[in-house]
Amino acid sequence: MKLSLKWVGDYVDVPTDTQAFCDRLDLTGTGVEGVEKLGAALEGVVVGHVLTCVEHPDSDHMHVVTVDVGEEEPVQIVCGAPNIAADIKVPVATVGAVLPSEDGGFKIKKSKLRGVVSCGMCCSRRELGQGTDHDGIWVLPEDAPVGMAFTEYLGQGDTVLDLEITPNRPDCLSVTGLAREIGAMYQTPVAFPLQEDAAKLDALTAGEPVADSVQLEITDPDRCQRYTARVIEGVKVGPSPDWLAERVVASGARSINNVVDVTNYIMFLYGQPLHAFDYDTLKDADGNVKVIVRPAEEGEEFTTLDGTDRVLTSDMTVIATPASAVALAGVMGGLHSEVEDHTTSILLETATFSRAHTSRTSRNLGLISEASMRYERGVDDVPIADISAAAAALMAEVCGGTVRPGIVDLYPVKSVPVPLSFRIQRFNAMMGADIPSGFVVDILERLGCQVRPSAEDGVLDVVAPTFRPDLEREIDLYEEVVRLWGMDRIAPTLPSSPDRVGTREQSEVVRGIVNGTLRASGMNETMTYSFVEPADVKAMRMDGLDLGMAVELLNPLNADQSVMRQTILPGLLRSVAYNQHHGTKNIQLYEIGTVFFTAEGRKKPKERTRVAGVLAGAMGEDGWNEKRAPFDFFDGKGIVENLARELALPKVRFKELVPEDAPQLQPGRAAQVLSGGTVLGWVGEVHPLVAAAFDAEAPIVAFDLDMKALEKSYRPARDYVDVPTFPAVEVDQAFVVDESVTHEKMEQVMTSAGGKMLESVALFDVYRDDERVGAGKKSMAYRLTYRAPERTLTSEEVDKAHEKLVKKVQGATAAEVRS
Amino acid sequence: MTIIEELDSLKQRVLADISAAEDSAALEDVRIAVLGKSGTLTAYLRNMGNVPKEEKAQVGRAVNEARTAVETALEEAKKLLQQQELDAAIASDAVDITLPGRSQQIGTRHLINGMIDEMTDVFLGLGYSLFEGPEVETDYYNFEALNAPPDHPSRSMQDTFYVKDLSGDGSAVKGESDVLLRTQTSGAQVHAMEDCSLPIYIIVPGKVYRRDVADPSHLPQFHQIEGLVVDKGITFGDLKGTLDYACKAIFGPDRRTRFRAHYFPFTEPSAEVDVSCGVCGGEGCRMCKGTGWLELLGCGMVDPNVLEMSGIDPEVYSGFAFGLGVERAACLKYNVPDLRMLLEGDMRFLRQF
Repeated sequence: MKLSLKWVGDYVDVPTDTQAFCDRLDLTGTGVEGVEKLGAALEGVVVGHVLTCVEHPDSDHMHVVTVDVGEEEPVQIVCGAPNIAADIKVPVATVGAVLPSEDGGFKIKKSKLRGVVSCGMCCSRRELGQGTDHDGIWVLPEDAPVGMAFTEYLGQGDTVLDLEITPNRPDCLSVTGLAREIGAMYQTPVAFPLQEDAAKLDALTAGEPVADSVQLEITDPDRCQRYTARVIEGVKVGPSPDWLAERVVASGARSINNVVDVTNYIMFLYGQPLHAFDYDTLKDADGNVKVIVRPAEEGEEFTTLDGTDRVLTSDMTVIATPASAVALAGVMGGLHSEVEDHTTSILLETATFSRAHTSRTSRNLGLISEASMRYERGVDDVPIADISAAAAALMAEVCGGTVRPGIVDLYPVKSVPVPLSFRIQRFNAMMGADIPSGFVVDILERLGCQVRPSAEDGVLDVVAPTFRPDLEREIDLYEEVVRLWGMDRIAPTLPSSPDRVGTREQSEVVRGIVNGTLRASGMNETMTYSFVEPADVKAMRMDGLDLGMAVELLNPLNADQSVMRQTILPGLLRSVAYNQHHGTKNIQLYEIGTVFFTAEGRKKPKERTRVAGVLAGAMGEDGWNEKRAPFDFFDGKGIVENLARELALPKVRFKELVPEDAPQLQPGRAAQVLSGGTVLGWVGEVHPLVAAAFDAEAPIVAFDLDMKALEKSYRPARDYVDVPTFPAVEVDQAFVVDESVTHEKMEQVMTSAGGKMLESVALFDVYRDDERVGAGKKSMAYRLTYRAPERTLTSEEVDKAHEKLVKKVQGATAAEVRS
Repeated sequence: MTIIEELDSLKQRVLADISAAEDSAALEDVRIAVLGKSGTLTAYLRNMGNVPKEEKAQVGRAVNEARTAVETALEEAKKLLQQQELDAAIASDAVDITLPGRSQQIGTRHLINGMIDEMTDVFLGLGYSLFEGPEVETDYYNFEALNAPPDHPSRSMQDTFYVKDLSGDGSAVKGESDVLLRTQTSGAQVHAMEDCSLPIYIIVPGKVYRRDVADPSHLPQFHQIEGLVVDKGITFGDLKGTLDYACKAIFGPDRRTRFRAHYFPFTEPSAEVDVSCGVCGGEGCRMCKGTGWLELLGCGMVDPNVLEMSGIDPEVYSGFAFGLGVERAACLKYNVPDLRMLLEGDMRFLRQF
């Protein structure tokens, strides 16, 4: 909402310190988004008197004029406007002036036009940002003082505030409403002009009573609480007088013509949208007019004022004659009944329409107008007759003509003011303040409420005005008083409740451990988009897996982000590619985030929290004293093992994944991670084709685990095991086995064969050599630690146990012992 | 030469040899030559039997004296040489301590989650618990139960991503749906009031979505921290005190807060909170567009309708709620020039924090 301080100043005193005024508006709930000083942009533009005017020697339409701009010598200007003439007063932009233009400003320079020197420019309204009239030079009245700065001549030193009016305050979408607000802010009197403006109508009334030829019908009172019409005859459509155009422009509209400008002026002044129909276009064959407010027919076609053809639904409301729709109620008029230059009679609509229907219509058509914005927030039905009178009177005054006596007024639903109680003590208790009742009463009255002490002590009976639909409950009044008292005046305290404790849920604790462990493992946390390309699952080669249905957005920003992710990996792979393309080769990223999937018939999708990571390159650059091994499967596995350790997950196992179950991973380098019977997720090297699909360079190691599963397996407390007091015996033993024998198998056999005495089995070398070990074979070297918790083992005991272990391994795996 | 004289001369020679020994090995050679099995002094000790009886006492004394002297000298020389050798070894072991250390890479926390951690800790300290809500919500939780029924004008303040509703329910407005990506963490307020017992002191950090094209100052997905308190006797002053404390804890003790009256459907009275500009200290600069203040969060007293809808009696309980944009707070704290960096995963950016 744009507010001209000059305009509102007609009704209430506005502080001269604009900055302080804006701060006060901000603090009391009216956000100031911009301050524009009108006229400031027109520096260098003065009132000029055209002395001579001759045709340009080399042009059939331009003229060469000399203009007195109040300086010693007149200036010569070449002018192309058709209405230029000698002895008229015009606004002149002198050399150096900057005129408003769409790209910031247009500077006037001395120039030559077809060989004739031009030192300035005679201006049209549009060139000065004062309207759209571009037909010719703005001809000023004869008494305009030559040489006067043009803004001063216009009396414009106005300041326009761009205010953010919150949706609960329809009353503030008007100059008088803001005057009332300012009056309450500063506890200062306000003069409201409505009664006086409406009273002017009597003197301008003539002709047949309007009810003789205009009939109204509202088919659904839910959609229209009140509809009124007046008819103004004999108007002459033309440009608005300067004062009117100025105010309409200052309020953010374009000056269109006198009729439309009057409707906009009244809307800006009182917050009541009006519509002017060309009366003659509404007449039936007998010259009568019937206006029907009815639901649109499903699929009804209608062309709005802006020239757009629209298809309506039955949820929308139209203003219609028996023949056809003429306006989209509350949103925009129709092209066919638009006021045009030849229009002589006006039917003036002043009405209220349903907030909900207007809001939906506006959203469904993507059409937001000054009217729809007001109707969807709520327009007061009570003062409609007076506002209509004020508007008709002004129209007759400005456009000529007379107003037919009376008003046709259908008023099926009347707003009733709401009686409320205001418990002063409760109010102060809830605010934590001590605001005197005198202030409470004064503020509520200034805001338009009727306030009376009630029978109960310390309670006020308040009747909220109908122009404040937001004041429905006691709490709504509290807000009014506290915001105008000043929130900054309330002392800060902390809640004094004795029975509260801050806790973290187990899921949060697990998340914290996972984050900490991953960071300790060198991983960097990142975030990627939750919405992804529908083709991502295919690019991951996971389209054959049962991931559920993707969750589709109805209104995505673009096709690349039109479904919710089913896995975090695509986002991470994009980040790998991004880093690689920006010269970063060593990448260690992880994300904990939500994935989404749904099914036919489901309303809300399922959400799961996953933790996924990617590793590419190495853990860092080679140092002066160490080489960093490039990442492979075992780096990913090591990180998962760290997680298993830190979360004390029981019975963690890595199970080889076959390609059908993990098509996103490179076969032979893919493992499922389990804790007991719970599947936690997977770890592996990303399939080279997947890496290529995301334009990333392989090898990329990745893991993807389910947070809920981790939480389920997480053991908050661990078992204590005695720290050994007796010495251990370590035996290094190498076995040569077939490639097909896994470490897991070897470990199992040794653990079961070693009995109680075998404390640990640690693999420390895997060695392959066709000649020394044999083709298709490998040597696996283990360090076996034997210990008894309560005594020192003898070498005979160890030898015996070890011998048995070796035999078992040989038996189970056909291993050869390598010395 | 008498034995005594021989011994004396031997002693002098050996002492000279000891002090001439340049390292532990040379010293050991000297020791062996003197006190070894066939050492010169050992020979005297062995030959004591051949010494005439009347000289025995005197020679014995002299031999012992020589041995003691040699042994003492050897011990001292050994200590000295060992010290010298250790010094030399240490000297040759010295490194350029400015060479980089051998460290294992420590990973990093994402800036936004780092901010969330910080704020979570502040509120845990104030006795709040953490609560979570879903990212895909129904219209009821995101709007309706928050006092924004269908067609409420506040809905157009937020550009909502709608999700295809597979349950077959229709929508009153074309292109909209009953299922949506939450535009605010406030829906979790309703879940909390339905699920938790009173009093409620919670914070809900989480991802929210609004249909804004990503640019330096907007992201279609970002994070909010929602706070909700419902208890007996909660005042607007409590809301002010809590947020004032939290802002100082997060941004520094010198920062001030300012409450501007505002409107949210689910709180009343409602306010927006500004924190004093950290760049200019409130004087006005480019960062704060000359106002001295930076907009930080929205808050208010929980609207009685919202309490009632969740079955809480507003005549007995009152409460406050607030919602803070984490990205915004992070930008205020770290001056990140382009929010899109938060979602790119650029290692050079992530590893700064």
